Amino acid sequence: MKVNWTRRILGGLSLTSALFIFQACYGTNKDYGLDLRVQGLVKSKTTGSPVKGIKVMAGDSIQYVITDENGTFDFYIAKADSLILSFKDTDTTQNGNYVAKDTVLKDLGESVYVTINLEDK
Amino acid sequence: MLSSLLRFGFRLFKNSEVKLHELNYLFWECTTRCNMNCLHCGSDCSSDSFYRDMPFEDFFKAIETIKNIPRNFTIVFTGGEALLRNDLEYCGRELRKRGFRWSIVSNGYLYDKQRHISLLNAGIGAITFSLDGLRESHNWLRNNKYSFDRVLSAIELAASSDRINLDIVTCVNQKNFNELGQIKELLISKNVKAWRLFTIIPIGRAVHHPELHLTDSQFVGLMDFIKENRKTGDIDVKFSCEGYVGKYEPFVRDSYFFCRAGINIGSVLIDGSISACPNIDRTFAQGNIYTDNFFEVWQNKFQPFRNREWTKTGQCKKCKDYNDCQGNGFHNWHGEKKNVLVCHNAKIMNSAKYELL
Repeated sequence: MKVNWTRRILGGLSLTSALFIFQACYGTNKDYGLDLRVQGLVKSKTTGSPVKGIKVMAGDSIQYVITDENGTFDFYIAKADSLILSFKDTDTTQNGNYVAKDTVLKDLGESVYVTINLEDK
Repeated sequence: MLSSLLRFGFRLFKNSEVKLHELNYLFWECTTRCNMNCLHCGSDCSSDSFYRDMPFEDFFKAIETIKNIPRNFTIVFTGGEALLRNDLEYCGRELRKRGFRWSIVSNGYLYDKQRHISLLNAGIGAITFSLDGLRESHNWLRNNKYSFDRVLSAIELAASSDRINLDIVTCVNQKNFNELGQIKELLISKNVKAWRLFTIIPIGRAVHHPELHLTDSQFVGLMDFIKENRKTGDIDVKFSCEGYVGKYEPFVRDSYFFCRAGINIGSVLIDGSISACPNIDRTFAQGNIYTDNFFEVWQNKFQPFRNREWTKTGQCKKCKDYNDCQGNGFHNWHGEKKNVLVCHNAKIMNSAKYELL
């Protein structure tokens, strides 16, 4: 804590506080942490088994992930207070045949975990 | 008076930063393979690298030694061309799971929509792409006729995501010097918010291409361009941290020159060497992750980086600006290290002399 105050006082003295967020030659800018981790599990409402191959989309973003053999998904999306997650069966009958579903998530923090049950068509 | 006070305060600040030497920024040279053969390369990479890519587990074991990870700590994947690694997303996810943030430096050639989505999914936070001119001059430097179109497409994709802190770097040379205004307009049209301008130092392949290097008066022209365009505020343009620029210092960056190599910036290089920025002479390596504890090396070694008195040699020996410059950017010391490779301030002063004649 003492160390941080020393940095701030001296940085302020030279009007260089902004340089605590610096960038190396040929390096990137800082990552400002503007994302949110979304994890979850997709199951069949009928059997309770995990469902593979479901496309999970976040709002109107171009991002999506596909559930794995355990029915799980995990991705980072832009930070938001609320979010619409959409679940869509796009592999026809390869891993069953399910009705698409949307869910709204609110009061989001740094990460969220959701479990979704999809109905058979 | 105010200027002198600010400089004095900044020197105190630098001394304090050296004393603390908090590791805030770590390069991982995860591959030295590259899909291009540019006329200039900071790492002197080629398509047939001598080294195999470093396994993620080796890198991770090294950074696991870091005690009390600073809040703003970032890992930067660099190369070679980092996107040649197919496990980049896996590496990124594993880092995020353990609380590390990460970003990449890339030539953009392989950055298509699918890769954009998979990198976002894996928690990338920042990207730097190189754009070295308009189509002809960029493709000339990159030695690839498709490079310009590919990187422009990459820029459009990355700029479409608000959560990626994107910046573009341009190596200014004889071919693109007169295009700077047009490049700026192009970047603004692509929604780019940050643009850093570099010059090329005569090392590696760049030694054999005189057209890559600016004349002294062109260098001053570059400083003037940055100074003027920082006033407009339509894009955050700045000179890189490559060197001290004397009277232009207050005008071309957010703050005065401070080379943080080995002070806040470290690296794990392709062979496991522990150093600072990857473009620094490799004889400055301070240890190796395969034989040493990474964090102990960071904490207890790095003396040539943290005490730069040894750079008071050659033209730096009697320089009146030494206290502000301290031997220029660390990457300007190569070979026998008897003199600084490039003195940006001398270029400025030489140019002024020519104007007087």
